[in-house]
Amino acid sequence: MEIKPRTVGNVAVLAIEGRFDANTAPPVQHWLEQATATPGARVLVDLTETTFVDSTALATLVSAMKRCQQGKGEFALCGLRRPVLMIFELTRLDKAFNIFVDSEHALAVLNA
Amino acid sequence: MSRQPSEVIRLDLPARHSYLHLLSETIAELLRQVGADNETLIYNVQLAAHEVCTNIVSHAYRNRRDGEGRIHITLTLYPQPPRIEIELHDTGETFDPELVPQPNLSEAQIHGYGLFLIRHLMDKVSYTSLPDGNRWHLVKHLS
Repeated sequence: MEIKPRTVGNVAVLAIEGRFDANTAPPVQHWLEQATATPGARVLVDLTETTFVDSTALATLVSAMKRCQQGKGEFALCGLRRPVLMIFELTRLDKAFNIFVDSEHALAVLNA
Repeated sequence: MSRQPSEVIRLDLPARHSYLHLLSETIAELLRQVGADNETLIYNVQLAAHEVCTNIVSHAYRNRRDGEGRIHITLTLYPQPPRIEIELHDTGETFDPELVPQPNLSEAQIHGYGLFLIRHLMDKVSYTSLPDGNRWHLVKHLS
């Protein structure tokens, strides 16, 4: 797994490549804790190249989203592959997260 | 249902998160061998088996030193009806899955999705508490 952080306008973006699971979640969690610490933070997690998401990854993302919302910030996901999106649908987390089809659409909204 | 397997793979993994990708890769390869190459089907079987293993690592072996426990996994393909059966055995602490609360799906939860996913991604899931540990049996039909 590889994580690729970048900043686009006012948005902190983290792209996750490969498996996002109990084994690889700690560095993602660490980055998200820092990115969501600032009130009003705008954070995007790009899952375009994420091949596997487990319940630990879901917990990591839910924690970050809740932390971001507490700080009146915005938290979004993009690029979910079909099997990954189906897990979000099964757990109804697709209703809780702001999910975009790709980073271009997400950044256009988050930077507006 | 036929009990005559067409393919059997056995894994004996150290109970560490870092080895669980081997299980995912084995499941994908096994299913592709029989033409079950639907991406979502493979993913769902991978995720259910992975969640059982993370449960074993994090809970059954929670009082063991990292990697001290082992997970014995048998993956079996059956031709009639086409299905994969996965048996997972550990020698850790037992638990009662019935006592694990269902996640409240009306709001985002931080914990509680693991067992929910196992139950919903497979066609049949059974757990048995043994004198020497735990046994899980998962079944997914391939047609």
